[in-house]
Amino acid sequence: MGATRILMVDDEEDLELLVRQRFRRRIRKGEYEFLFAHNGKEALEALEENPDVHLVLSDINMPVMDGLTLLGQLEETKPDVKAVIISAYGDMDNIRTAMNRGAFDFVTKPVDFNDLQITIEKTLKHINALEQALKNRDRLVAIRRELDVAKQVQLSGVPAELPVGDAFGVHAIMNPAKEIGGDFYDFFELDEHRLGLVIADVSDKGVPAALFTMITRALLKSSSRRHDSPARCLHEVNEFLCQDNDACMFVTVFYGVLDLRDGSFRYSNGGHNPPRHLTEDGAVSELPLTGDFALGIADGHDFGENLVTVVPGDALFLYTDGITEACNHQLDEYGEDRLDGVLGDGAPMNARELAESVVGSVERFVDGATQFDDITCLSLRLRSPSGSAGANGSQ
Amino acid sequence: MTNKTQLTIRTEQDEKAVILCLAGRVDGTNANVLDEAVRDKIDAGQPALLFDFEELEYISSAGLRVLLLAARRMQAAKGKTLFCGLSEQIAEVFRVSGFDHILPVFGTRSEALATV
Repeated sequence: MGATRILMVDDEEDLELLVRQRFRRRIRKGEYEFLFAHNGKEALEALEENPDVHLVLSDINMPVMDGLTLLGQLEETKPDVKAVIISAYGDMDNIRTAMNRGAFDFVTKPVDFNDLQITIEKTLKHINALEQALKNRDRLVAIRRELDVAKQVQLSGVPAELPVGDAFGVHAIMNPAKEIGGDFYDFFELDEHRLGLVIADVSDKGVPAALFTMITRALLKSSSRRHDSPARCLHEVNEFLCQDNDACMFVTVFYGVLDLRDGSFRYSNGGHNPPRHLTEDGAVSELPLTGDFALGIADGHDFGENLVTVVPGDALFLYTDGITEACNHQLDEYGEDRLDGVLGDGAPMNARELAESVVGSVERFVDGATQFDDITCLSLRLRSPSGSAGANGSQ
Repeated sequence: MTNKTQLTIRTEQDEKAVILCLAGRVDGTNANVLDEAVRDKIDAGQPALLFDFEELEYISSAGLRVLLLAARRMQAAKGKTLFCGLSEQIAEVFRVSGFDHILPVFGTRSEALATV
């Protein structure tokens, strides 16, 4: 620790000598270092040149700029500088004014140097506490910034733009809960005929969930380029996620590959809510589970796979439990029946209308009650060759 | 009375196992409470831990994670973790997430305790 630098402001040269003399031990030991100014203006200049000075000892009556004016300036421009007023005994009016202008304390002339010493130490303690508080505040700001980064990470867990195809329309909505959640979806073109659809939900919230989300998405994307079979991909991702997973974090993942040439949709479901298959006439059915469990729980598991055929005009709707478990003020759940009701609603809807209808219906149901989980869905509709309203429209 | 929004944890000591009776809801807001309660029981050195879900209405994935952690810890301590009394809804959560493949689930307490 270097010397504490203190600025003494007084037009009497005597005081400067006196201070040097009385504090000589502390000055020699390197505890205090005094700077001197002879009026308020000089003081402000000295503070400008020496930003490490946080303690000012000032007289009141001085030429050019007096102590009270100096205090006013300090209060406005240098909130981290604390001033102790040194003024004549009996000058109580000025001392009151000085205290009202933010002086930290005062000592009276003739100066009792023991008292001045105690006052200096007391003021320095206060300054240090202030500095600490500022540092803590800055740290808090830094943490908040980190949380913002985590939020960005979460949002980067989904494609910025969904591809548009002649044969299909696709739309996704993700409304994250207030806390950083762990939902993500993905949609990619494996080649010109095959589309990959992913929806997933991590078991936790906050920064760890955001990171787990990012890892899972990257692993799955990488696997999908190497293996055609969704079951094989989930197996591979699961093996990775199970390594050193002491936190027991897990992620439910649905991954399917749709081949536009024959409408075959091959999927594997790692413990996720079953997506829905919608036909053009409004029938809604669950895609049967594949008998698997969430990823990250147990390694060595061979994932199962199902195959369904999707024909032009059909739609697929993938969602997370943030939809079905959304609660209203009475804590009733939105539930699967309401979901299926919207999906099977007579009016044929394109991909965007499907997603928006469901999310809109959930929002009306919860009626402003606090959202605890991310609300995420991904819908895809194959265009009908007849070009009927339901199958049209890409976004 | 159990408030619908809250989680109540009642502990019963059987000669074979400690039984944790959960009532209400386990979600992201109170999963840590359950985690602490479970840790305490495991640290106290129980040969078996039975979760009775008779009065449990809802469990979120954050809650499932706590159960998984409990099972892992018990396994490390050479103990068993068992579950009984799942409502239809919670049984469905176990089925969809595949937890019923990993955690031993029984219909009733006595069925569960018979395996200890």
